[in-house]
Amino acid sequence: MDAYANFINGTITLFSDPMGILIFFGGVVGGMLFGAIPGVSMLTLAAILLPFTAHLSAEHGIMLFSVIYCTGVYGGAITAILFNIPGAPENAPTAFDGYPMTKNGEAGRAVGAAVMCSAIGGTVAAVIMMLATAPIANWAISAFGPPEIFALVFFGLAVAATVGAKTLWKGWLSILVGLLIAVVGMDPVGGIERYDFNMPYLLAGIHFIPTILGFFAVSEIFIQAEKKATGSFKAPKISVDFPSVAELLAHKVAVIRSIVIGFFCGVLPGIGATLAAFMGYNEAVRWSKDKSQFGKGKLEGVISSETANNAATGAAMIPLLALGLPGGALTAMMVGVFQMHDMEPGPLVFLNSPDLVWVVFSAMFFANLSILLVGYLETKTIINLLRIPFQFLAPLILLLATVGAYAVRGLVIDVLVMFIAGAAGFFLRRSGYSLAGIVLGLILGKIGEQTFAQAMQMLHFEWLGFLDRPVASVLIAAAFLTILSSIYSAFFKKHTQ
Amino acid sequence: MRRNKFLMTAGSMLAATMFSASSAYAACATDGLPGTMAKPGGFPERSLAMIVPYGPAGGSGQVAQAMAQAVTELTGVSINRDHKPGGSGTVGMTAYLAMPTDGYTVLEHIDDASSAHALDSGRPNPAEDLIPLVISQITFSQIYIRTNEDRFTDWDSFVSWVKAQDGKATIANVSKEGSMERINMKYLTDSTGMKIQQISFDKGAPRYGALAGGQVDALFEQPGDVRKFLDSGTFRPILTLLHSRPGVFADVPSLKDAGFDFEPLLRFRGFYVHKDAPADRVEWLQWAFQKGFCEPSYQAFNEKKYMNLIESYRDTAGGKELITGTIAQYRQVYKELGLEVK
Repeated sequence: MDAYANFINGTITLFSDPMGILIFFGGVVGGMLFGAIPGVSMLTLAAILLPFTAHLSAEHGIMLFSVIYCTGVYGGAITAILFNIPGAPENAPTAFDGYPMTKNGEAGRAVGAAVMCSAIGGTVAAVIMMLATAPIANWAISAFGPPEIFALVFFGLAVAATVGAKTLWKGWLSILVGLLIAVVGMDPVGGIERYDFNMPYLLAGIHFIPTILGFFAVSEIFIQAEKKATGSFKAPKISVDFPSVAELLAHKVAVIRSIVIGFFCGVLPGIGATLAAFMGYNEAVRWSKDKSQFGKGKLEGVISSETANNAATGAAMIPLLALGLPGGALTAMMVGVFQMHDMEPGPLVFLNSPDLVWVVFSAMFFANLSILLVGYLETKTIINLLRIPFQFLAPLILLLATVGAYAVRGLVIDVLVMFIAGAAGFFLRRSGYSLAGIVLGLILGKIGEQTFAQAMQMLHFEWLGFLDRPVASVLIAAAFLTILSSIYSAFFKKHTQ
Repeated sequence: MRRNKFLMTAGSMLAATMFSASSAYAACATDGLPGTMAKPGGFPERSLAMIVPYGPAGGSGQVAQAMAQAVTELTGVSINRDHKPGGSGTVGMTAYLAMPTDGYTVLEHIDDASSAHALDSGRPNPAEDLIPLVISQITFSQIYIRTNEDRFTDWDSFVSWVKAQDGKATIANVSKEGSMERINMKYLTDSTGMKIQQISFDKGAPRYGALAGGQVDALFEQPGDVRKFLDSGTFRPILTLLHSRPGVFADVPSLKDAGFDFEPLLRFRGFYVHKDAPADRVEWLQWAFQKGFCEPSYQAFNEKKYMNLIESYRDTAGGKELITGTIAQYRQVYKELGLEVK
């Protein structure tokens, strides 16, 4: 009841102030636009706006960033679906099925599903956030230490091996390639320099954003260019038909599952929306009766990924507000906004500035809802970009992808990585290996290596120590069961064919 | 014997630090510098660039933003920050050294650059290959526990408890071997004879979450980075790694109180320009950055970050002295640790 009254008060405060309304809608539109333009992202917008928030009130500054966070995560889905260019890493799994849907003439259905599921995932997470921020935050940091996070990563990798590759073995090889790439650079535990070949820039490691841009956007340009040259190119059909409500209801289990996964990943400091999207997608594949359709344009793939990543946005605010622990780059910038106003996120915010907290909660709730309206209008116009002839669109995409790769860290090596990944992707996509698996190996490899090393230090280098921790035990057992069942399926399938 | 002599030298440096701290509040360190300075040959005619070898949200990103703002307020010259994270600052340093040496690009860096050179003399020496414009943040470390901790309540009971765990106790720390944090922890464990497992976290949030969530027993950190947890009563310090007690932490024992005679390593952040930059431009940059330290906005920032508890300011000469002393101290410890010093 208190939460309800606080929510109403927060809403009244938010919408009774013209400046607040202006900033709210500015954040909604800005987040979507920057999320949707390849090469820039919501982080770019946030970095540009950060110094200016000093001139806003604390409520307006923090509310603006939280709104950008909600809508920016959605915005990146549009380019992932239309052009195979994820606007942000958390939209990468959306491209796995979203782009094939575009090629199948179902761009409208894919974008429509992304609009609705982003709104649903984000809104539900915002409600949970309002109801139980403090207890959830305390539970998350108590129940999930490095051993549990490593076990979660291990489980994620076990599931990922079954995604996107022609055979299980190629799936595992794809994952292992990703893990191998992840060890380039300085190791996260002792600072040991590895595989740098005396090139200092390699010490920073191979970043997954240029890899994603190369694997998905650049290799796609190469493939389409080849088709153009050989006369087999077909322009994607334009469709603005949204999925029906009945169609979405048919995927209610996937939506609920992804909300749980997204919320769960988002609430863990340092994990966030990217892992949430991949885990949401992986679980959709794992529980599907027809796994073979994933990667070929299955609506459930888009639904699972987009629901999970937006659910993670609300969840990521929980450790930030309740404990002062940012879960990712944008929430870390929010700490900067707090500090500009002589505040620190954490338990004292709830005591000292409850009005601010509830304005932010209300803003996030309505920002997620507004994805429905603004996203609908935006989608109807942006899909028309597909009408641009390939010979004009391809150089534009390459240019934007190049800018996007460079913008991550300001390093030319990231652009080279993108083009190398593009060339590799061109060949790997024909050979039955999973580009998604490589990307996931790269992303999870970095988290997994670090948490594994931390876990071993915590467990005093005793492997069996994992078994003393119930959550870690369950996740590791689930991972082994997944591996065994996939091996059994592969073996059984081979011998019955 | 040789170590004792070295420690006395380092000790006198630190004593100077503490002494100058006491006068820092009366007047800002650069109040003696002229309020304005003519631009040499029109320099700078355009914006400056600042390479920051770490992300925008961390300590380096924040101090870079605060100093850039202060210099802009003072001179009207804007500074574009270019973050190049990775490799514990190696990537940013490499990128900086590849830039033209015309004075238009400056570098933010921390004591990691000194420890990197101490371990491998092939790496740039911040006191010789670069010119420190100003060292604008110097701080010390502390050991923290949860406020609701009931297994131990102070430093003495903590040490007793750790010893009773026979190596099973844990403390969250940063990851890199040979870092300031690891060296200071080595001093502490050598001095007390306690065995404690250090858990490597390279990012702040998971490190602080590990202590708040009970995943580890203690935390090694600098007070400015955990101020919000101190203000909210979530963490409390049980040992200050200085020989005297800063006023804010008057009830926390210092090294001297705990009976230790080692000289702790300090964390410092500063701004540099390439040694080959034109001398007149360097002089203008020194003025702008040293004067920027005393701008009200920068002073407020340092105060908020607990960077006013000991003297945080060093000019070029003081910066070189600090860096050179730090490198020597790191080398000494690396040799004792058996690390290969190139």
